[in-house]
Amino acid sequence: MSGRRGGNRIRGPQSALTDFLAANNISAAQIRDEYERRRQAADQDGNAGEGASGATPPDVDEEEIAVAIAAEVAEEEEKAEKSKKRKRKTDEAVEKVKKEKAKKAKKSKKKKDDSDDESEYDDGLGKDMYKKSRPAPGQLEHCDVCNKRFTVTPYSKEGPDGGLLCTPCGKELAKDVKAEKKAASKPAGRKRRKVESDRLDGIATGGAKSLQQLCIAKVAQHHDDVDEFGDMPQPVLERLSEIFSKKRVLKPKTLPLFLRPDLDAVMIHDAAYLEEEDYEKMFATVPKMEKLVLSNACQLKDPAIDYLLDKCQAIRHIHLYAANLVSDGMWYRLFREAGPNLEVLKLKWLDATFDDLVVKDLAKHAPNLRRLKFKLCRKIGEGAVKAITNMQKLEHLSLMMNKEVSTPALVNLVTKRGPQLRTLSLEKFLDADDSVVEAIKTSCQQLTKLRISENDTISDASYEALFTEWTNPPLTFVDFNSTRDVDNNNPVGPDDAIGMASAGFKALMAHSGSSLRNVDIASCRHIELPAFMDVFNGAMSYPELEYINVSFCNKVDNSVIAGIFKSCPNLKKLVAFGCFDVLDVVVPRNIALIGVPKAQDAIEQFGVGIGVDEALSRMLEVGA
Amino acid sequence: MASTNPPTEYITLVSSDDYSFVIRRSAACISPAIKRMLDPANGFIESQTNTCRLDNINGLVLEKVCEYLYYNEKHKDAKDVADMDLPMELVLELLMAADYLNGMFCI
Repeated sequence: MSGRRGGNRIRGPQSALTDFLAANNISAAQIRDEYERRRQAADQDGNAGEGASGATPPDVDEEEIAVAIAAEVAEEEEKAEKSKKRKRKTDEAVEKVKKEKAKKAKKSKKKKDDSDDESEYDDGLGKDMYKKSRPAPGQLEHCDVCNKRFTVTPYSKEGPDGGLLCTPCGKELAKDVKAEKKAASKPAGRKRRKVESDRLDGIATGGAKSLQQLCIAKVAQHHDDVDEFGDMPQPVLERLSEIFSKKRVLKPKTLPLFLRPDLDAVMIHDAAYLEEEDYEKMFATVPKMEKLVLSNACQLKDPAIDYLLDKCQAIRHIHLYAANLVSDGMWYRLFREAGPNLEVLKLKWLDATFDDLVVKDLAKHAPNLRRLKFKLCRKIGEGAVKAITNMQKLEHLSLMMNKEVSTPALVNLVTKRGPQLRTLSLEKFLDADDSVVEAIKTSCQQLTKLRISENDTISDASYEALFTEWTNPPLTFVDFNSTRDVDNNNPVGPDDAIGMASAGFKALMAHSGSSLRNVDIASCRHIELPAFMDVFNGAMSYPELEYINVSFCNKVDNSVIAGIFKSCPNLKKLVAFGCFDVLDVVVPRNIALIGVPKAQDAIEQFGVGIGVDEALSRMLEVGA
Repeated sequence: MASTNPPTEYITLVSSDDYSFVIRRSAACISPAIKRMLDPANGFIESQTNTCRLDNINGLVLEKVCEYLYYNEKHKDAKDVADMDLPMELVLELLMAADYLNGMFCI
């Protein structure tokens, strides 16, 4: 029945294993006899009743015999062959036996239902009877796995079959066990961190995740098995690309999933893994490309751009981050050849190349540019600002310069381009002063987004003036983070406040409160408590407001947070890092409160199915 | 005449291969697309028959979609919801279906 090959090849009692078995009061012959006897009995049983039940002899005896056989076989061969091959052969034999054993185990499990009680009883008994006693340290022993002789130490590990293991095998086993443990223990901690991370990403807003989210996560998890996405709609494809980037699985192998000849956009938010030929493949596969987004494009080189100019004539939107291997000469060529069509250009993190002269050339050759963003491009400065001043069709402008730019140049830029601008972002212009804000007030009439951040020169009074009777319609996005006076010796700042402070903030909310969606006033630490109380008093309502960042506004306390909850019915996310006066806050449904340092529990529990009023009343109870 | 009837508690979704799934209206309406189909104000035939034919979603996928709809409804107010397990082989089709029924985008 059982296909045990070479069962009758057992011969010669002199083998080391037989010696060993004898030493441990185990006789191979006895085992074999026992086995034969039981087999016959089983056969008889089987003949009586269709042979189904008796087909599985007890496992353990089989194991013992199998091991014995394997060892014997190995020993036989050892005699014949040189010792070099011994280990491998033995391993093979043991492997084979193990496989067979596993197969048996499975089979016997399947047939457990109809296998008789006796054999089960035998199983247990056999295990106990044949379990080897642990040899004392110092004794010589054969490893349970590789069958090598070794000296037993108190630290010798026990193998899966109860025998001892030599040091290398023991180590191997320990490693496996460790890995297993790790895999088993991972989920709990990971899950907690995942929840926190989702919360920071703004995904976790209570309730179930959307089906699309679930699917995309699953696809990203099995990115290796996906051959193609078929005719997936473009928005979904873009979302997939984002998640692939986030999970760092956008590699040369997965790139083709996102390239289709009928697409007009390629958006790779983390191209760090892509190599030169991948870029060429990209441009060759998607010739109709109008929009190109490559972040971390660190291996994008001149030949690839050359290829792009050759293949993709329709390109209108270029967004490249960290493309430092593109030379100045190639930038010139890019703007000369693709410039006339170019409508959007966003460049970030350029250190080695790209200077004022290139920007000047851009201004000359790209008359249709509507949206421009230069951030952290180390070589550009005032010359670039002057060049941008002459871009006639500019509607969206975002600048963050490393070099100093004089205020008159900036004022000139705002005055000239202001009337058409819809969004304006000026980051880290440390020396920009009140005249820039005045220029914004007089020139800009159709802004929807305004960012002035990291500045310690513009005064609160000028912000107040800007938002008082400004003819510009209410803004939807404002960011004045880190506009404050910086002086360690005088933390409260001068009497006439510098940066966005009480008066400016009140004027801002009075002017734009009705349509503001996004407010960032992080580190505006001169905004006083009364100003917050006036703005978020519960009676005023800011129906559109979804996101507020009040981090490091150290005057913010519980009452302000409660006021924000009350005044902003559509609030989704409130960020309050470093607000030490915020203690126990009860967060209403659908709002994520992030960062409160003294209310860790509140960070844990958010949006737990209670309305704003209930949350506020609970907060009062806690406070009382 | 049918339009004057009060909305039924259960509605039927029919897949491209003619499997029908009868599910609670409240769950089905989590998908804005289905909700619009069933809204009597829009006067689609679906709102009178209380049956939506989804000709680009097959039975296997629609079954999962229904499962998701109930899963979503069940966990409406819960937090830290365990993710629903989706079979790998259906994920891409499900993704297309989710896009079609839009709205599973809205969280």
